[in-house]
Amino acid sequence: MKNLTKKSIYFGASILLILGLTLSCSEDFINVAANEETEGAITADKAPELVNAVYNNLNQWAMSSFSWNGVSSMTSDDADKGSDPGDTGGDKNLLDALTFDATTISFDEVWAAHYDGIQRANQAINRLEAFDLDPTLKSRLIGEAKFLRALTYFRLVKTFGGVPLIAGIPDLSADPAQLLSRATKEETYAFIETDLTEAITSLPEKSEYPISELGRATKGAAKALLAKVSMYQNKWQVVLTLTNEIIASGEYGLTPNYEDIWKEISENNIESIFEIQARGETPTAGTQGYSVTQGARGAGGWGWGFNTPSQNLADSYEAGDTRRDATIIFRGETLFDGRLVPNTVVNPMYNQKAYSSAFSDAWETGKNIRILRYADVLLMNAEAALATGGDAATPLNQVRNRAGLGDAPVVNQMAIWEERRHELAFEHDRYFDLVRQGRAGTVLRALGKPFVDGKHEVFPIPNEQIIKSGGLLEQNPGY
Amino acid sequence: MKTKIILLLLFLVSVCGFSQNMTVSGTVTSSEDNMPVPGVNVLVKGTSRGVSTDFDGNYSIQVSQGEILEFSSLGLKTRTITVNKQAIVNVILDTDIESLNEVVIVGYGTQKKAVLTSSVSSIKGEDLAKEPIVNATQALQGKAAGVQIIASDAPGAASTVIIRGLGTIQGGRDPLYVVDGVLTGNINNINTSDIKTMNVLKDAASLAIYGNRGANGVIIITTKKGRSGKMQVSFDSYTGFRDILSKVNMADASSFVTYSNEAALRDLLNDNDPSNDNDTSGFFPTNQQYNTNWLDAISRTARVSNYNLSLSGGSDNIQAFFSVGYNKEEGILKDNDFNRLTIRSNVDYKISDKLSLSQNVSAQIAHVTPKSFNAFTTAYKQSPIVPVREEDGRFGASVAFNNVGNPVKDLFFQDEEQKFFKLQASLKMDYKIIDPLVFTSRFSIESETARLYDFQDRLGSYLASNPGNTEGNFEGGIENPAKTRLIVEHRNNYRWFLDNYFTFDKTFNEDHTVKLTVGITAEENRSEFLKGTRNNVPLDSNLKYNLGLGDEDDTQLSGGSFTVLDRLYSLIGRVNYDYKNKYIFNASYRRDGSSKFQKGFRYGDFFAVSAGWSISNEDFMQDGFFDVLKLRASYGELGNQNVPFNVLNVTTGSGGFYAFGPNQDIQQGITITGTVQENLSWETTNEVNIGLEYTLLDYRLSGEIDYYQRVNENATLELQLPDVFGFDPFNSHVGRIENTGLEVLLNWSDNINDKLKYHVGGNFSYNKNELTKVTSPFFNEQTGGNIDNGQYTKKVAVGQPLGSFYLYEVAGIDDRGEFVYKDLNNDGDITEDDRKFFGSYIPKYYFGFNFGFDYDNFDLSVDTFGNFGNVVYNGKKAQRFGNENIEQKTFDNRWTSGRPSNTTPIASNDVPLSSNYYLESGDFFRINNITLGYTFPSEKLGLFSNIRIYASAKNPIILKRFSGYSPELPGDDNGNPLKTAGIELNAYPTLRSFYIGINTSF
Repeated sequence: MKNLTKKSIYFGASILLILGLTLSCSEDFINVAANEETEGAITADKAPELVNAVYNNLNQWAMSSFSWNGVSSMTSDDADKGSDPGDTGGDKNLLDALTFDATTISFDEVWAAHYDGIQRANQAINRLEAFDLDPTLKSRLIGEAKFLRALTYFRLVKTFGGVPLIAGIPDLSADPAQLLSRATKEETYAFIETDLTEAITSLPEKSEYPISELGRATKGAAKALLAKVSMYQNKWQVVLTLTNEIIASGEYGLTPNYEDIWKEISENNIESIFEIQARGETPTAGTQGYSVTQGARGAGGWGWGFNTPSQNLADSYEAGDTRRDATIIFRGETLFDGRLVPNTVVNPMYNQKAYSSAFSDAWETGKNIRILRYADVLLMNAEAALATGGDAATPLNQVRNRAGLGDAPVVNQMAIWEERRHELAFEHDRYFDLVRQGRAGTVLRALGKPFVDGKHEVFPIPNEQIIKSGGLLEQNPGY
Repeated sequence: MKTKIILLLLFLVSVCGFSQNMTVSGTVTSSEDNMPVPGVNVLVKGTSRGVSTDFDGNYSIQVSQGEILEFSSLGLKTRTITVNKQAIVNVILDTDIESLNEVVIVGYGTQKKAVLTSSVSSIKGEDLAKEPIVNATQALQGKAAGVQIIASDAPGAASTVIIRGLGTIQGGRDPLYVVDGVLTGNINNINTSDIKTMNVLKDAASLAIYGNRGANGVIIITTKKGRSGKMQVSFDSYTGFRDILSKVNMADASSFVTYSNEAALRDLLNDNDPSNDNDTSGFFPTNQQYNTNWLDAISRTARVSNYNLSLSGGSDNIQAFFSVGYNKEEGILKDNDFNRLTIRSNVDYKISDKLSLSQNVSAQIAHVTPKSFNAFTTAYKQSPIVPVREEDGRFGASVAFNNVGNPVKDLFFQDEEQKFFKLQASLKMDYKIIDPLVFTSRFSIESETARLYDFQDRLGSYLASNPGNTEGNFEGGIENPAKTRLIVEHRNNYRWFLDNYFTFDKTFNEDHTVKLTVGITAEENRSEFLKGTRNNVPLDSNLKYNLGLGDEDDTQLSGGSFTVLDRLYSLIGRVNYDYKNKYIFNASYRRDGSSKFQKGFRYGDFFAVSAGWSISNEDFMQDGFFDVLKLRASYGELGNQNVPFNVLNVTTGSGGFYAFGPNQDIQQGITITGTVQENLSWETTNEVNIGLEYTLLDYRLSGEIDYYQRVNENATLELQLPDVFGFDPFNSHVGRIENTGLEVLLNWSDNINDKLKYHVGGNFSYNKNELTKVTSPFFNEQTGGNIDNGQYTKKVAVGQPLGSFYLYEVAGIDDRGEFVYKDLNNDGDITEDDRKFFGSYIPKYYFGFNFGFDYDNFDLSVDTFGNFGNVVYNGKKAQRFGNENIEQKTFDNRWTSGRPSNTTPIASNDVPLSSNYYLESGDFFRINNITLGYTFPSEKLGLFSNIRIYASAKNPIILKRFSGYSPELPGDDNGNPLKTAGIELNAYPTLRSFYIGINTSF
């Protein structure tokens, strides 16, 4: 009897143990909490952070720095590769000489970095739409992300022509041909215009933002970008309307002294419509390598010496144009901050717009990169007015007068185009502007660059990307 | 009645009195553990006279000369001995391996070997104890078919174990180890002397019960238990020395100078500047003061010794086994030492007829002084004209002409200590509920702690590395530089397990045997680490590991983290059925719920079914040729849950933040740069196995043949989407990896007479490995085998085995002495596209051949191992450039204008392209072990019951085609096929070792 009782207890206990474990806690047991920040950590209170990370991509090396300078600047008549003759910067000699091909690595870097930015924007838009959030804030944040996405696609379409349009989080189970095939140039522009139209609706004006949010995309910025996008499609009436609205908004004006625009004190000033924010102080949040790669090279210098002003640019300014000295650091000169650029540096000229006084040789520069300025809006306005029969002289002369020049003796297309060159040199505009104006071949061939019409209007789709797409990406003609 | 018996006895005694003219006595011991065996029947053959051995295995019996004594006991082989004149007959009985009742330890229980329908390789503890083995996985090499061991002779190192081919790239590759029921990742802490049996479960039929950890195979280790009877004490020890088995002959100083000057001349002639072609100003002078042999300078003859003491004993109700072992192993690199102390206590309690408990506790303390194996490559490359030390005592340096360090200096300044502690303990209860139904409950824990100390004399190393370095220049002359640095790291890992299961075992109507196992298991594990760094800790040897003595400033770094709880909750079940031991059906099942995966992908079902037919038990086979002939077949599905984690980490900090506002205040940013495949889960492997077991010629010839095909249906591979997706590379189940193989095992053993018995055995394994399919167009053909000079050597691709080399192909040497590479795509350029596949470092074939004999008191055993069908890369040679040393053979055979060569190019200082020039055959055949032992006759031993002495040679001879130090190259990162596995770079050479040892018991 005693044994039986003992047996029953053991038996009962073990059965209970098993049943208990099996039934009650199996699901709970393996349901463990994560101890790292994972996807689940992105909740509605992080909504602004999702968008901040899209801005962050603009600071990345491959997005805004060395390769982008190579593609958008060194290729043009404004800039040379610079640096020591033997230092190619990987492939910058090929870009300068227009002898690149589809395997030239800068194109691949630029391509990948831009799509990283688009992916970040898509992540933000997708998640923001699902969040339960103050509608005004939500609309603004989505507008910012769309502005940034449009800016990125605009750079891509100028560089490569029509590109694959990724609008959301890609469904990996879908037919890859859908995602990877290139849209036409027209479709790409239409996509950009949709984003910007929505951004104009949802973004506040610069003055409507709290001061702490200075640097975010604004209604004015979206309008200015849409104007520029329209200009690239010769939609002159749209350009005129938008630029007139910006001028009438009273939000912007010109910096009295042209050279001041690129000083630290003028960051986000009255002339600024959109710029890439860069913080040089620790903790740094600056554009990687932007200043140091363009800094003077050699003894007494502070950088790698790439992307130097061409003699052709230096020689092209009218006498008395203050922009020449504001744009170009000349070997031997003393800069505005008292720094002497000794004669021992390697190249005769350097890009002053990339010079950061306080963080000249820092990897993360403190220099905000100016993307859209009021002067650009005025020149677009002038060009649109000329095309539509309006008053082109007033905006054009505003820009000229600020630069210390008198009114334009002749107001015509070439006068505006030359004004754009001097006003916007080293602002990643020249090569694309020449192509837009339809005279890239004439201008560049005159300087010995082997520009081929029908080919060099766009750059090659990176070979690496064609391989990765399994051949779905189509190469541009001539490459 | 009583009277009658007494009368009978008297009669017997008196009858026997005529012929029983002598008394023979002795001790019966078991060959398995040299322990006395109580209760052995000792019978005079052909009579009814007999006795049993007592508690201590002793017997005494009256016999006549010429009579035959028969010793028999259940589970032991019966032995007969003819009595001559000797008064003492000590008998050693072998385990009866052919016994029908032999049981094999399998997952969560045991099975009779006779009705086993799965493929299991077994190694007995007694075989491990006969020769010096530190890590038991070493002993598997060449002993178990289908089990490939890539051994490392580094002190304390574990071998790479690949069971039936590599089935995964991204997933965990190690087999699962089960020590007395505790599931663990390695057996580095197990004292080989404590092992009773080691079983390798190889096919799905045996592995399915381990579910999503079974795919790489399971090695089950059972440790020794106490035995009833008088306490037995065993003491075993061995000592010996080791050195490099085959060295590479390097160029001496004069050859080096000649070669380097020729290489310099080549550079001058090739630089398109004719003006400097006769400039010898940068050449090495031919009269060199030094001629250093760097390998000799860093290496030594290493001593190894091992001591092991064990106690075993108990009563009918309590049996205990206790052991303590100490192993001291020197590495051949100077000051590279490994010491290990292990203790174990295994106790079994029989509380009642129904309830028994057993407890296993083992602890390991290890102390390691690590030295980087980079020293082997540095010694290979450093020039002989550099002295170990200059005459003024400074370390020699080569900063003027190459980038190689002084390996002696590197070792001198590597000041590290590592201490490990591992505890494994389990408590098991068996309760017999109603006769055939038993309930088993086991709770086990494992805890492992590592304490790592890394002291860096940074200033000392800086000053020693270049004669031009001064204290003032250290760290660019900054204020308060970190002259010394101490990094202390503590790591801890714990696991616990709870297993509860029922076993039902019953034979119905004498013919139908049913065995059922059903239960649940739960487990948890977690790791954490804590790390602290301080600068300027004092150099004094007694203070240098004290973190608190370093600078207190804000540059000190500390770090730490713990892993996500890893939990598993599983249901297990198994059914065994046989009809008259003839027709056998088995099925097993496990349902695993794993916390590793996302909801909806956590539960996996794994199963196996198998059937066997013991043909030899059929009536028509009763007079047949075969003692045992069994055909078996199985199919099952296994998992590997050690796949890369599928958590999507967010990008924050500098990857996300941005400056806003007039003061450019940072606002945090957050984004996701990757994508995750929600369905990322375990890899599923299915396996078909067909086997044949046979024993014939009166149990003398036995063997097994197994054919298998195992397919990892959803191997995780890295995908790299085109950049328009903006995602980082990620893992997805898109691959299919197949391993197909054949295993053949053949053993012959025979007793010629009482004194001489011998055995000869061999096993042969063939495995074909291939990545057969990838379902995604975005598979990133991962490259690997980077040899740290910008060159990679391996690639994963469809249609190729894992670990395949992907290299340029050398077509020959041109008339300038330069390599000519094949332009495989005929585009006129040598580019990436001209590489091709040259096969894998993993052998297709490997085999072991063993033999041994016992003659009187002598025993001899020889084990050999070989593999062929693989290639290995001479990474150190392929890395050599810029005034680094060359092999003497390279020097002797080099192309010169006066003596063209078509095998070896002109002297050069260029970084070599990774080509098949550096790829060599990995085929080798090696004698792994020769052991000769002598057991002293027991009558002379007095106190001792057994004394055996032996001499052993490990790896005394190798036949190989590879020109390097070792064709066995486990590589970095635990044998990662995409790292340096199969590449001789910073690799430990194969050693030969010579030992003498003693086994005693009393």
